[in-house]
Amino acid sequence: MSTLTIDQIADAIDVTCDTVIRNEKYFSDLDGLAGDGDFGTSLATGFKVIKADLPAIEKAAIGAMLLKISMICSKHVGGSSGPIWGTGFMKAGMASKDMAEVTYHQLTDMVGAALEGIMARGGAKRGDKTLLDALIPIHEKMQEMDGSDLGAVLAAVAAEADKAIDETRTLVAHRGRASQVGERSANTPDPGIVGVATILYDWCKHYGVDYTPTAAELNR
Amino acid sequence: MKKFVNNPENFVPEFMAGVIAANPDLLEAMPEFQLIKRKNVDASKVAIVQGSGSGHEPAHVMAVGPGMLTAACQGPVFAAPPVDACYETIKSVATDAGVLVLVNNYQGDRMAWDMACEMAEAEGIKLKQFIINDDVAVQDSLYTVGRRGVAGNFFVMKACGALAETGADLDAVYAMAEKVNNNVRTMGLALTSCTPPAKGDPIFDIGDDEMEVGVGIHGEPGRERTKIKPADEITELLFEAVATDLPYNSGDRVALMINGLGGTPPAELYVLYNKAAQLCADRGLTIARNYVGEYCTAIEMAGCSLTLLKLDAELEKLLAAPAETACRIF
Repeated sequence: MSTLTIDQIADAIDVTCDTVIRNEKYFSDLDGLAGDGDFGTSLATGFKVIKADLPAIEKAAIGAMLLKISMICSKHVGGSSGPIWGTGFMKAGMASKDMAEVTYHQLTDMVGAALEGIMARGGAKRGDKTLLDALIPIHEKMQEMDGSDLGAVLAAVAAEADKAIDETRTLVAHRGRASQVGERSANTPDPGIVGVATILYDWCKHYGVDYTPTAAELNR
Repeated sequence: MKKFVNNPENFVPEFMAGVIAANPDLLEAMPEFQLIKRKNVDASKVAIVQGSGSGHEPAHVMAVGPGMLTAACQGPVFAAPPVDACYETIKSVATDAGVLVLVNNYQGDRMAWDMACEMAEAEGIKLKQFIINDDVAVQDSLYTVGRRGVAGNFFVMKACGALAETGADLDAVYAMAEKVNNNVRTMGLALTSCTPPAKGDPIFDIGDDEMEVGVGIHGEPGRERTKIKPADEITELLFEAVATDLPYNSGDRVALMINGLGGTPPAELYVLYNKAAQLCADRGLTIARNYVGEYCTAIEMAGCSLTLLKLDAELEKLLAAPAETACRIF
């Protein structure tokens, strides 16, 4: 079975930082359609700190590394995104503890722990038009697959997040700032879902996995 | 708005450094986490921690001392402290007896403390978390689901702090927080707005002849905006809202607090107290303890809040127990 080392996970986080920083304005513009327009900036502010601090963070235990990243998120990512993304990293860290590498099944459990934590923190559920609508199908897909080919897993989960953009586009948001504008949030994509999908699509490109996205937001 | 500031960004660290400078024997700081803790924490006793945005002084960091909080951390003015500060606050005083985390009900504070508690528990630190929500003004607000935590927080800190000093265990100190919160009610009222130092402008507009009834301690809207009324009518309005919420019954012994929101002179608070004491008597309530002054403020807002706490013999004893904090006027 495939395993992932702490260095590989750190590299994926570094790639994520680049994605979030590069899309600062785009994510904020998306958020401005129905929310308060700060999502991209909030996220980028924190991920700039992660990008800068990551090389110096000790690469001995995955859990300790993710807890440090969680702290940075909750300290430097503004608004509700800080605790939400911070909780995701924290719960994934608690699930990986002092391991220096994780098996595919452990990685799947880390994703599961992260999304359960995010659900508990924000009180959102599937269908509320939040990033959970991407994370939950991603986790389910990971559980279905055996993980023998990580490239195939990456393409499959990128497809789940891609699909979630269009499947939730017409929904009305029930959580977060967008919920306060009610119907106005229908027919706008959720920036959190687009964020997750963009990160996964960028991972595909970075790791040489072939994937052709369908959602307009990934074909800019 | 004129204020005593140097660089507004340094306002919170500078005021905290001042608190430490004035209390070198009692307190010490960990400035990197905006936290103040008691010196010589007794490992056999339950530690009590809190943390919130700045701007409510003496609440939070200035309420640290024997018989009150063991440690507290500050966020920027009116913004929740970051998770790492909350986590370090718990960790800095974690005792064998455990830590009681007291959180006033605001979404930002709750998310930060929830995360910090989960991290601390994962490290094997024994703790319990309690949410304070004494404000009767509104059910939900700008920053809360449910009622807000305001000046009634003082009584939770005081009773729990006194009980922890006796060596009571974590469950007992937690149960005391619950008891106080169940028996305390508050409502506030603003005559003016207030100005966070880094913002430089008032956070809301209010006319010279207006008042905000049920205002929150960050200037959040309350029940209604009305023309200003004479002090006695204001007291009646606040008293009625508070006294009917629990309700407090004839024969009850109570603690009565008239809290200043930062910009109201003491004499005006005593004008309010005078009427509130009369209203207690009319209702058959005996004021066993009274508190007039600034306990939980909204920077320099002119305004007040009225708090009633229903007492029993145990609570009366705990409120009367000695305590020492950074704010004292003797």
